[in-house]
Amino acid sequence: MTNHSPYFTVHIITIYLSYIAFFAASVAAALYLIQDNFLKNKQTGIIFNRLPGLFFLDKLNYGAIGSGFPILTLSIISGFIWAKHIRGACWSYDHREIYSIALWLIYVLILHVRLSAKMRGRKVAQLSLLAFCIIIFSLFSSCR
Amino acid sequence: MDLMVVGINHKTAPVEIRERFSFTAKQIVEVNRLLKESASLKENLILSTCNRVEIYAVANHSKDHAGDIENFLGSFHNLDISDYKSKFYVYRDKEAIEHLFKVAAGLDSMVIGEMEILGQVKRAYREARESRTTGKILNKLFENAFNTAKKVRTETGITRGAISVSSVAVRLARKILGRLRDKKALIIGTGKVGEQLVLYLKKEGIESVIVTNRTLEKARDLAARFAATAIPFEDFRSRLAETDIIVTSTGAPHHIIRKDEILSLMPMRKQRPLFIIDLAVPRDVEADVNSIDNVYLYDIDDLQETVDETMVFRENELDGCFKIVGASSEKFINWLAGERSRNGE
Repeated sequence: MTNHSPYFTVHIITIYLSYIAFFAASVAAALYLIQDNFLKNKQTGIIFNRLPGLFFLDKLNYGAIGSGFPILTLSIISGFIWAKHIRGACWSYDHREIYSIALWLIYVLILHVRLSAKMRGRKVAQLSLLAFCIIIFSLFSSCR
Repeated sequence: MDLMVVGINHKTAPVEIRERFSFTAKQIVEVNRLLKESASLKENLILSTCNRVEIYAVANHSKDHAGDIENFLGSFHNLDISDYKSKFYVYRDKEAIEHLFKVAAGLDSMVIGEMEILGQVKRAYREARESRTTGKILNKLFENAFNTAKKVRTETGITRGAISVSSVAVRLARKILGRLRDKKALIIGTGKVGEQLVLYLKKEGIESVIVTNRTLEKARDLAARFAATAIPFEDFRSRLAETDIIVTSTGAPHHIIRKDEILSLMPMRKQRPLFIIDLAVPRDVEADVNSIDNVYLYDIDDLQETVDETMVFRENELDGCFKIVGASSEKFINWLAGERSRNGE
């Protein structure tokens, strides 16, 4: 089983697809925080009017995370299977594995607080930005 | 030939005087014809709105047609025109052209940049065409005015922003809550601005509006006019959890909505955003409510400030608008000069 394994292909495709979804979610989250800040401070000028509203941004963030999460899950599972075949073990404390699990857990947390209505809006947006920072770190650490 | 405008508007006369000279929509077509005959004009058009009565006319140089037009207005309305002479303005040629272009583009309006006036000018033009009192010059002039207004609107920011407290509030509500149709509004108190806000919310298609007031009769009255539901004042707190927009305008001397109350409400609301508009003075809602996540509190000053910002922004756009008007009127003057020389003037 080499890099040409179908599990590896699935793993790579799904990981990038999930990153695209999470990127969209974090752009929506960043814009949400900007708009929320404008609204709270009563700065409803030209920039505020040009940017999308909170409702749309919150929906976009949730939708993107909702679609990115199952893809990330698929990616992690296919990664484990591939690792098992190539190294004989699913888990080897590789930093990418740790980042992936941390990422998966934080998105579980986001979906949990959102679905259980414990948090919404600004805090969810902050969590999605935190999650995206983990993606950036994981990409950097993979490049080294 | 002279191109002129004789008129009276909100800058030169109060409404008590303007209304004496105004015409009803039914009269206009006939009055256009009468005016043409009586003041021996070549072409004429009456623009009568709540803020202005203006006669645009084309006439021969030979005599003082502006005076004839004023006299016609006086005699038609049974008024002694000499009492009102100072309220009228007369612009000729370049000034008249620029004036019309400004009027059509909303630059001469009470609220700069409002576009209702363009529709009114278009209607006045249609009516004058129906009266057959316009000709080559006024037709060309008004077509140019419509194009100039369109250019001003698309190339500058003169129509941007909200220009009333109610429209600012509705705009913010849309930004916070998205589509308003399926949202719920609770109106506490029955003030004038609050009433206007209900009208705006209804225009946005909001279906559920609940009105409450210390005097239930007043709430019922408002509710009846806007197809809303009236509830007793004591019951309004039980409706807060399901509400998306709260508008308060009571005369209470103290806060009727406090931070801890809204704070304990949010888990029940599943953290759904809540927009509170406090129109009351003294304020009905504790200012600190704004610090709660997903709650946005705006008082009357916050809303008024946005209106003021819009007006300052629009005023800053005026220079750009005047440039467009200047260029268009220059073009029209050249065309008019060509017409005059063709007619041997």
